[in-house]
Amino acid sequence: MEFLQTCLDGLLFGSAYSLLALSFSLLFGVMKRVNLAFGSSLLLSAVFALWVDSILSVGIIGIFLVMLGSSAIINIYVEKICFYPHRGNYGAIVSMISSFAIWMQLDDLSSFLLPDRTASFPSFLPDSFFIIDLFIRIDQLFLFFIAVLMTGVFFYVLYKTNYGLLLRGVSFDGELARKLGVNSSRISSFAFAFSGVFGAIAAFLILSTESQVTPFFGFWCTLKGLVAMMLGGIGSLPGAIIGGLFLGLIESNVINYLGAEYRDICTYLILLFILVVKPGGIMGSAILRDERAASERI
Amino acid sequence: MSILKVDNLCKNFGGVRAVDGLNFEINQGEIFGLIGPNGSGKSTTINVICGLYQPSEGSIFLEGKKINGLKPNQCVDVGISRTFQNIRLFGDLTVWQNLWVAWRDDKNNQSSWFSNWFGRSETQEKLISELLNFSGLESRANDLASNLSFGEQRRLELARAVASKPKLIFLDEPAAGMNKEEVKELRERIFRLRDLGITIFLVEHVMDLVMNVSNRITVLNFGKAIAEGDPESVQKDKSVQEAYFGQ
Repeated sequence: MEFLQTCLDGLLFGSAYSLLALSFSLLFGVMKRVNLAFGSSLLLSAVFALWVDSILSVGIIGIFLVMLGSSAIINIYVEKICFYPHRGNYGAIVSMISSFAIWMQLDDLSSFLLPDRTASFPSFLPDSFFIIDLFIRIDQLFLFFIAVLMTGVFFYVLYKTNYGLLLRGVSFDGELARKLGVNSSRISSFAFAFSGVFGAIAAFLILSTESQVTPFFGFWCTLKGLVAMMLGGIGSLPGAIIGGLFLGLIESNVINYLGAEYRDICTYLILLFILVVKPGGIMGSAILRDERAASERI
Repeated sequence: MSILKVDNLCKNFGGVRAVDGLNFEINQGEIFGLIGPNGSGKSTTINVICGLYQPSEGSIFLEGKKINGLKPNQCVDVGISRTFQNIRLFGDLTVWQNLWVAWRDDKNNQSSWFSNWFGRSETQEKLISELLNFSGLESRANDLASNLSFGEQRRLELARAVASKPKLIFLDEPAAGMNKEEVKELRERIFRLRDLGITIFLVEHVMDLVMNVSNRITVLNFGKAIAEGDPESVQKDKSVQEAYFGQ
């Protein structure tokens, strides 16, 4: 029963990792870009929403909406500053490094808005219940269902709409798409805004289950999202989901059976093992066959 | 009535003058051929008109409106589309998705970007199925473009150029690498496009095709037009024979 409980906890929290990894995968799998500033943009949007709340007291729904909007705008800003100028085939490394600089900038902006270092974040549905001895928090269950729902939305947009089609076309050959009349820069700005909104929903749910925001949240998001993405398979969308859930399972079991101090060691050992045995990640065989993606893997 | 007018068009690459003072006018609904030896500036001419390069001098008019300086995607918006000398398709999209990416809504249909991006219209479905029919690719609609044979890829490229509902299509060596039978099919397709009211600008090395379909031909050599007129007079022209075969 104890094992079941840890696995359940791991899966529920792992769904948050899945959401973060999906946002990374949208940009990596589709745009072939790594956005290191992503976590910081989520932190800044959360801190900004709290700041707006402290002035206008917009309430929890208001905080949520402000987070969505500001995250979309911040991500478009990041795209315009460090990805748009390097949108050719060989800009992957340059744009990754410049996104590192933007990461620092956004983190500094957040600490400017968060002078006390830590602020409490409003939580919603703080109840919990038991199913046959299994302890379940309602907000975590909610997080899990939202993660499932948003994964569906994600796949729908990418594979069933014109926009998703254009996005995949632009990612395959941006120059060709432009010659065929596709406004590539608008498509790619929208992809960043989309990943920002997506990440902001994830960040809101994670922060309200934790009920506090610290300056390390941005780094934490980037790290967990990237690790989950690498575990699951770089650039593969189903892989991002599996990687996130897997990461959650590993962490909760290690914390329960070995202790919290072994959590990161074990996570990275397993990541190392998977990257050695299967370099593309769990679901990554397909992406490795794609030479273009393989040559841009970082 | 002229649809495209090119006035004293020049394009320099560093010290090389790839296109040198080119003048021509294409009438609505005709098939215009541009021929010339390798390196005579044919592809550069297309690339300049389609917005890939800025002209160094001169101007380009589409239906009387100046279009120099437009970006490639804006050129598609004003009604120009093209195929490529080396086949360029979205290899990891299927055949109908390739057509779909190139699809443009009607100019007079003011639907928002939202419905363009997230909705699907019946006119779109209808056009795509017509195009599949036109290119003879109905049975392969759901195959990846990278799995098509060479001839099928060429046909898909032509259909894709039509998907944006252009007034003027640039065909950059559409018959390269085709056998006799395929060239014959291509000729039929070009005539069908002309019958739909689309003006065609044909750049080609396969003389059999150019001489048979074009209404008028301009011959380029070293970036300059050395002859122009109907196919027979161009074939008989002394300077053309010199350019191709030497003196």
